[in-house]
Amino acid sequence: MTDEPEVRERGAGQVVLELDDELSAPLDQARDIYKLSDPALSEIGFESLLDELLVRVRDLLGVDTAAILLLDEETQQLVARAAKGIEEEVERGVRIPIGRGFAGRIAQERVAILIADVDHADILNPILRQKGIRSLLGVPLIVEGELIGVMHVGSLRTRIFGQRDLAVLQLAAARAAPAIERARLLNALEREHYTAVMLQRDLLPRNLPQVPGVSIAARYLPARNEVGGDWFDVIELPRGQVGVVIGDVVGHGLGAAMLMGQLRTALHAYALDGHGPARALELTDRFASSLGRSVMATAAFGVFDSDTGSIHYASAGHLPPAFISADGRARVIELALAPPLGAFGYKPCPEHELSLEQGETMLLYTDGLIERPRVPLPASIELLVEAVRGAHHPEDACLMAMDQLVPQRGPRDDVAVIAMQNDPIPAILDLELAADATMLAHARRMLGRWLSQYEPEREVATEITIAVSEACANAIEHAYGPARGSFAVHAEAHDGVAVVKISDHGRWRAPRGENRGRGLKIMEAAMDGVELVAGEHGTEVLMRRKLSRQ
Amino acid sequence: MSLLDVRLQAADGIVYAKLSGDVDLSNAEALGEELTALTPNDALGVIVDLSDVDYLDSAGIHLIHRLRENLRARAQMLRLVIPSESPVIHTLRLAGLSWDEEIVETADAAREAFAAS
Repeated sequence: MTDEPEVRERGAGQVVLELDDELSAPLDQARDIYKLSDPALSEIGFESLLDELLVRVRDLLGVDTAAILLLDEETQQLVARAAKGIEEEVERGVRIPIGRGFAGRIAQERVAILIADVDHADILNPILRQKGIRSLLGVPLIVEGELIGVMHVGSLRTRIFGQRDLAVLQLAAARAAPAIERARLLNALEREHYTAVMLQRDLLPRNLPQVPGVSIAARYLPARNEVGGDWFDVIELPRGQVGVVIGDVVGHGLGAAMLMGQLRTALHAYALDGHGPARALELTDRFASSLGRSVMATAAFGVFDSDTGSIHYASAGHLPPAFISADGRARVIELALAPPLGAFGYKPCPEHELSLEQGETMLLYTDGLIERPRVPLPASIELLVEAVRGAHHPEDACLMAMDQLVPQRGPRDDVAVIAMQNDPIPAILDLELAADATMLAHARRMLGRWLSQYEPEREVATEITIAVSEACANAIEHAYGPARGSFAVHAEAHDGVAVVKISDHGRWRAPRGENRGRGLKIMEAAMDGVELVAGEHGTEVLMRRKLSRQ
Repeated sequence: MSLLDVRLQAADGIVYAKLSGDVDLSNAEALGEELTALTPNDALGVIVDLSDVDYLDSAGIHLIHRLRENLRARAQMLRLVIPSESPVIHTLRLAGLSWDEEIVETADAAREAFAAS
């Protein structure tokens, strides 16, 4: 057996090496090479895999440099992706066109090529010369007949790579190529999955708004393998109204997530513009139809009025809402639907008026939560009803639904859930609010809800609200110094008299200017009694007012 | 949530501001500055339409008060559209203010007042 390869000239100074079939790599080296196809390798991550392969190959062959270039199919160029000893290849983003130079010819002809002396060879990549490499040996990386790249090794001293070296390198290439391809696919998938997850996270509301008189909880869980197009939304509307939305774009991946973002934005904007649930869904359907692509999505939108306890609800082909009463009974209410978004065809969307009693929760969800293989839909919905029975708070409802219905390994399809409760009105109102003028509306709304249980005349309720809001505005303006941060409203009613205490942590200051003086005047005119108690740690305003005018 | 929505029109020397929602300490000052800034010296005056305002507090009164003073100093006219059943009337009454000269029931009545002047 000779160690001299059969040679054919290929380009200046390039020699094609063909392996003698009889010859195989030495046993000890072969054992090491077999490690290259270790399936665990493709799990260490793409970049680490390439690095690990090159280190092993370099050690096996006793060479100074090793590099992997992978085919970029779009440009038909080889791109340096990993290198040992010639890291500059990667750092400078070396690209070699197929068919040109050393690596380009290996790729085009799918043969091993030897360069005995770089000085006399046709080499495209200047880095090889700059690094002082004298001899090179390269082989194609092929998976299932497809070229995926080139691996080459180099020596800083002149070296005639022989059959034994070629056998080792080819075996390494044969073993490494599938691992590289597997890791590359995994990497691309992961990148898309990661991007889609991040995108979806950005497309969903980050923080749910704090709406007076309403508690809201929501969950989103991507599918085990892929993101989808599920969404939820909360829209704070004027006059104590709040909208909750659930939606589901049919399909998976980045495209579905992006379409979801568009539909969520459209519906959100229509709702803010004052359109009720049915009209907002109709407009979102027109919007979906105008996107110039096929859209199939379901959505449900409910607007809750915290003053009246009513919910206006409309659904575009979405699953029926579930309700959990204050005492924990759960049920699903089937309502007439419009077709899914993108398929209305100008059919009007039916709108329903439901009531949400104090302490009652409405739960909206996507099919990812309830769908079970081989379980018919009504039975799946019944499982949901059983899962949320006994929930007393929206957070509990979400928790119980997710806990009991989502498989341990994660859902097959993505899951969105949103639950909204009409908070029970307490007999005694106790609020601690940030000393910020934007909290005044919150205080007024909470006070109004509390007052409503005594059914005062509208004028009485309005006057009490005005007086309390003025006192709160005072507290906010006085809140200064180290204890700045909050003020408290405490209200209770005895024998037909409302008693409200507003306390802050600042010191009472004489009303400055016409404006504040007016505030105090309004409080005195609106209430039957106003007392200011200025203490060392804060000021209290104590006010009382008969709830009836008689 | 923005409490207040403001729609502005300027035509025939009249600045018309239609407010919807709540006017309180959280937005009154910014609103007052905006209204004053939008009224040129040569405008005939301002109509502030409060017919869709649910709530007005003392900071809101202060804003109208200052707007009223500023316009008077420039000999410009102010009309406030406040229907008699508006909750805004409550606040004005509690504050002991009437502003009888400025208050009209409808936006049309406000425009007529400008036409007549």
